[in-house]
Amino acid sequence: MKKLITAVVSLGLIVGAASATDVDADRKAFVDYFKSLKPNVEFADYTNGVYAFDEGSREQFEEILDGIPPYEEAVEKGGQEFEKFGLGKCAALADPAAARVKHPYYDDAAGTVVTLEGTIQKCYNEQTGKKLGTMKGKIARISAWISDQAAGEKINVKIESEGAKAAYERGKAFFYAKRGQFNMSCADCHVYNAGKKARADILSPALGHTTHVPMYRAKWAGIGTLHRRYGGCLKNMRAKPIKAQKEVYRDMELFHQAMSNGLEITADRYRK
Amino acid sequence: MKKVLITALSIFALTAQADFLGSAHNWNNGSSDSFKSAVKAAEAGYKANLAVNMAWRDTGKMIKEAKKLNAAGKTAAAVALANKAYAQTANATAQAAIAGKAGPLF
Repeated sequence: MKKLITAVVSLGLIVGAASATDVDADRKAFVDYFKSLKPNVEFADYTNGVYAFDEGSREQFEEILDGIPPYEEAVEKGGQEFEKFGLGKCAALADPAAARVKHPYYDDAAGTVVTLEGTIQKCYNEQTGKKLGTMKGKIARISAWISDQAAGEKINVKIESEGAKAAYERGKAFFYAKRGQFNMSCADCHVYNAGKKARADILSPALGHTTHVPMYRAKWAGIGTLHRRYGGCLKNMRAKPIKAQKEVYRDMELFHQAMSNGLEITADRYRK
Repeated sequence: MKKVLITALSIFALTAQADFLGSAHNWNNGSSDSFKSAVKAAEAGYKANLAVNMAWRDTGKMIKEAKKLNAAGKTAAAVALANKAYAQTANATAQAAIAGKAGPLF
């Protein structure tokens, strides 16, 4: 009898865990929400982020792209650095376009989410014996150049193993949890209030956020990684930022990128 | 004569009181013990918030500032600031309690 109860409870837990994480259903609900929010915006246009929402901002964006985008030189330098430091010798980065599409992913052996920047850091360390930063400068330039090689390909984050599902769920909870003195979540701005104004800025939709990372921000006057942006957002919400590439951010990136599955990766990485 | 005596005694009493308290005394402050307990509570709360990645941006700065105020002898202001920092940690703890179950509203 005891064995039967244990078996039933175990089965219940397994079924519960399996049904608890349904990435496709989550993504569908996410995309449908944005469809209802902005019925006239095509799904593919979300690759342009906030510029899909606001005509005036889009015109400015297109003017910048028509000229010489301010990040062009930095991305080119990133390509030179990729060569200079022999990053192509690392198996994980040998095909830069494939590397961008593959990341982030859950490494079952290591039991952790691996981001593109994490792989660049590891490879850089193997090749040079030195450490690489996490938010701006060299790592952002190299990551941007790698991402450029995958421009036009689609984001395709896979959440398959139990470990990946657990990381995805942690990332999802982080994204939707209210934090900081303003008691706001990432979703409060970038889902529920996307397209509305916060002071002079239009809040960007979370759908498509990860198509153009690392991004060039006029505010930074340079390129920065996705995790740098996470830190900036948390600071704005008066929450203490977490260090880039820490597990919580990597988990959230897994969720965040998975929500943009199917959108094209773009080299147009300018943002205000 | 009586008036002169009362005046002289009053002046003497006030002078003696001022000398006894010394220049380091803060006239409008709370006790050092209340600061210690306030800052201890704030630090413990902040540490717990940091451990679960739910700390607020300014709590650490407030605790540091409270310590500076206390060192400068402004104990009442230091206690008030430490209590504010503690209140922030209590709110962050409340956020943390429900953060794990957060999900979409649609």
